[in-house]
Amino acid sequence: MGARRAIGRILFYLLVALIIVYTVFPFYWAIVSSLKEGSALYRVDLFPPHPAWGNYVGIFQQQNFARNILNSVIVAGAVVAVSLLLSVTASYALGRVEFRGRTALLLTILAVSMFPQVAVLSGMFELVSWLGIYDTIWSLILSYLILTLPFTTWVLTTFMRDLPKELEEAALVDGARPWTIITRVFLPLLWPALATTGLLAFITAWNEFMFAITFTLSNEKRTVPVAIALISGASHFELPWGRVMAASVIVTIPLVVLVLVFQRRIVSGLTAGAVKG
Amino acid sequence: MAQVVLRKVTKSFGALQVIKGVDLDIAHREFVVFVGPSGCGKSTLLRMVAGLEDITSGELFIDGARVNAALPSQRGIAMVFQSYALYPHMSVYQNMAFGLKLARSDRATIEERVRKAARILQIEELLERKPRQLSGGQRQRVAIGRAITRNPKVFLFDEPLSNLDAALRVQTRLEIARLKDELDATMIYVTHDQVEAMTLADRIVVLNAGRVEQVGSPLELYQRPRNLFVAGFLGSPKMNFIRSVAETVRPGQLTVRLPGGAHLTLPVRDGAPGIRSGTQLTVGVRPEDVVPPERGDAVVSGGVLVVEQLGSESYLYLRTEGDQTVVARRDPGLEAKVDQPVKVGVRAAACHLFGADGLAIERADPPPA
Repeated sequence: MGARRAIGRILFYLLVALIIVYTVFPFYWAIVSSLKEGSALYRVDLFPPHPAWGNYVGIFQQQNFARNILNSVIVAGAVVAVSLLLSVTASYALGRVEFRGRTALLLTILAVSMFPQVAVLSGMFELVSWLGIYDTIWSLILSYLILTLPFTTWVLTTFMRDLPKELEEAALVDGARPWTIITRVFLPLLWPALATTGLLAFITAWNEFMFAITFTLSNEKRTVPVAIALISGASHFELPWGRVMAASVIVTIPLVVLVLVFQRRIVSGLTAGAVKG
Repeated sequence: MAQVVLRKVTKSFGALQVIKGVDLDIAHREFVVFVGPSGCGKSTLLRMVAGLEDITSGELFIDGARVNAALPSQRGIAMVFQSYALYPHMSVYQNMAFGLKLARSDRATIEERVRKAARILQIEELLERKPRQLSGGQRQRVAIGRAITRNPKVFLFDEPLSNLDAALRVQTRLEIARLKDELDATMIYVTHDQVEAMTLADRIVVLNAGRVEQVGSPLELYQRPRNLFVAGFLGSPKMNFIRSVAETVRPGQLTVRLPGGAHLTLPVRDGAPGIRSGTQLTVGVRPEDVVPPERGDAVVSGGVLVVEQLGSESYLYLRTEGDQTVVARRDPGLEAKVDQPVKVGVRAAACHLFGADGLAIERADPPPA
């Protein structure tokens, strides 16, 4: 019996190790590659023999990568703020107010998120040029809302619907109007859900590539994913892997930090409502 | 002066009418209890008074003003919910102060009112805690405290005790009875528990299927129920209904034949309409009025079904001729074997009489003391 259990445990941890290697190795390889320069890139080393920071310095010196990061921060931050504001108010209506066509509306919202990005790309392009925001970060903020709003609204509606009805009624009796109910009674209870959906919206906006490359033209308007893709070497024939990797590592770090900061919120967000509080 | 007046109030959800025309006058400082089985519309009626449900038709006046369209906060009411509905992220103090804060009362007034309510309810030491750190009874006190702080004209209680355990329920019931004297406000209280209704109410409103069955003081309803529903709803165990037949009808007197053939003569008001010899009637007798045979005016015999021992009393269930069940209250420690033949007596003075339509046939004598 004991031996079988021991074998089972060994197999279990082998599987765990395999999964960890599978998920973490690409990121590890990016870090390792970013620390190599020149021909060292093409040698297979699990640990760089001579770590060099040249790539990290290079992306900031040879092009305006700081500007790209700033653009990404502004775009992702604005997208998160606008999506949360709109979806919190929308989810109050969709989750708490009875009206005709509510289910149809919810399904429409879900359907919007099923369109492939390419399908809306050309229509979005027309809209963007008509509004005169082509090659500005406004075009990205606007277009990313298409990606984030459906799921933030959908998730928050689910949470909103699960909040006890009596709370809202107690607030009504206390003299609260809908806006007060949302901001002072419901929002504090929705924090875990807001952290979760906000983070997902941030990651979506941070990593988005197709809209970003289509709606921006000049280098100083670009966001990080496009900037990385367009990093060029000394000649057409050289792809500067080292700098691409260094840039990738830099833009991944904020996400890792954000997830770590909000980790506990996310966990409680995912399980909130599972047990009676 | 906060009277609450309902005039032909109805409520429909789509085609389904759940409140079917309720007329009610509730006086200032009166404690009125809405009672009825689940689904009778008592909570809906309360929520209509609160302003949480729209009134489909009819009129509602609080303190003389028509408030059909007024927001809950403009009606001068405060409500205590069954699930307490405390704001989980606020401390007890903030919970109680929330309504006043929204009304932009100044800090000193808020402080004073919250402290006063906390003193009345003896929750002063809990003011800094969060609701999750409180027991069920404490939460309910805070919910009541939140209502008191608003200084309302009308208190509305929606089954406030049904989430508490039995011991706490009795204790909180006493507290509410004490509050009733302390606060200068009208109170409407919804419950399905007839003991709460009997002990707390100045007047009870018995509701059934969206209609008011009877309104009156607890004893009035207990002693002179207007119909079979009220008679059966109040009292535990419920009143015995014995199917009987009218035998002789004379002015002011009605003789009925009980199962087994015994006769019982009751004084009735003149003009019990439509009752002739042979009409099917129901005789209602409460278990405490089913006496030993030698003290009864008529004797019913049957076999013992079961005996329940409650410690302070026991209940004897017997099956009479004609396959009807009769419950009798007896002293504790009654011993009887199943199927043992037994006789019980019925006192004419304690009987209720109901016609085939379920309405009470009015008695000519005053209710027994």
